[in-house]
Amino acid sequence: MMEFLDQLLSFNLDRETVFGLFQQSLVFIVGMTAILASLGVILCATPIYSALYLIGNMVCLALLFLLFNAEFLAVVQVVVYAGAVMILFLFIIALLGARKEPRDLSFQNLMGLGFVGLLFCELLLTMAVGETQPVQGQATPEVVQQVGSAKAIGIELFSNHIIPFELASLLLLVAAVGIISLAKFTYKPLRKRTRT
Amino acid sequence: MGSEFVLFVSAAVFSIGAVGFVIRKNPLVMFMSVELMLNAVNFLLVGYSSFLNSLDGQIFALIIMTVAAAEVVVGLAIILTIFRTRHELDVDHINTLKG
Repeated sequence: MMEFLDQLLSFNLDRETVFGLFQQSLVFIVGMTAILASLGVILCATPIYSALYLIGNMVCLALLFLLFNAEFLAVVQVVVYAGAVMILFLFIIALLGARKEPRDLSFQNLMGLGFVGLLFCELLLTMAVGETQPVQGQATPEVVQQVGSAKAIGIELFSNHIIPFELASLLLLVAAVGIISLAKFTYKPLRKRTRT
Repeated sequence: MGSEFVLFVSAAVFSIGAVGFVIRKNPLVMFMSVELMLNAVNFLLVGYSSFLNSLDGQIFALIIMTVAAAEVVVGLAIILTIFRTRHELDVDHINTLKG
């Protein structure tokens, strides 16, 4: 940070420095927007606003993916999450009707808040862990840029990670069969519940 | 603005999702909170795969997206079935599996 300030004061900026500064400030702004949008998801009383804030959060995360050199995942994030999954959410909200939810802070909720606050502090402790010995891979941005992000991921997926890929396809098949059986065979109670 | 910021954003979004799962009563919003948590983990994986010059993190994030899509579809179908039988949506009132 100090070098940036020195260079700013001496007007001694080259192209890479300006670009790096711009990218860093962009990452900061988009990250903060993602946090604000996720706050909006849980604080809105009506589900439809929560869904809209969630779309905003996903678009922010897609921008962050772009800034971290993951173009293919950014596209998948927008198409699959902000497109398919959120449209499904909006359909269900429109079908069930969105009612406002009364807000209460009972003892259980406060206990949950305290627990999650503790979890957040523990997660922040990971920032305090200094440099460990990381395993550097081969896929530097230049190498990925030569073949393209989608092709690099495809090659990796079909060579080294073929078993998780097949398991994912099996999972999608099971999910499809599951929702068909949930939607087709309506539930009829066998006997009335007897209240004692 | 290196790995610390990625860790901070990811931890914040994950914790906000966990809070939403705890304090909200509408199952739809609870599912959205789960999506938030999954997204936070995805962002952490992608950020570190960029720092470490490896594509494994992005593959992992792709698989997580698949699992999340399947989970949302099944979960929403279950919510719809519960609404058809009980005509209300409040997780505090859905306390039995017998219908």
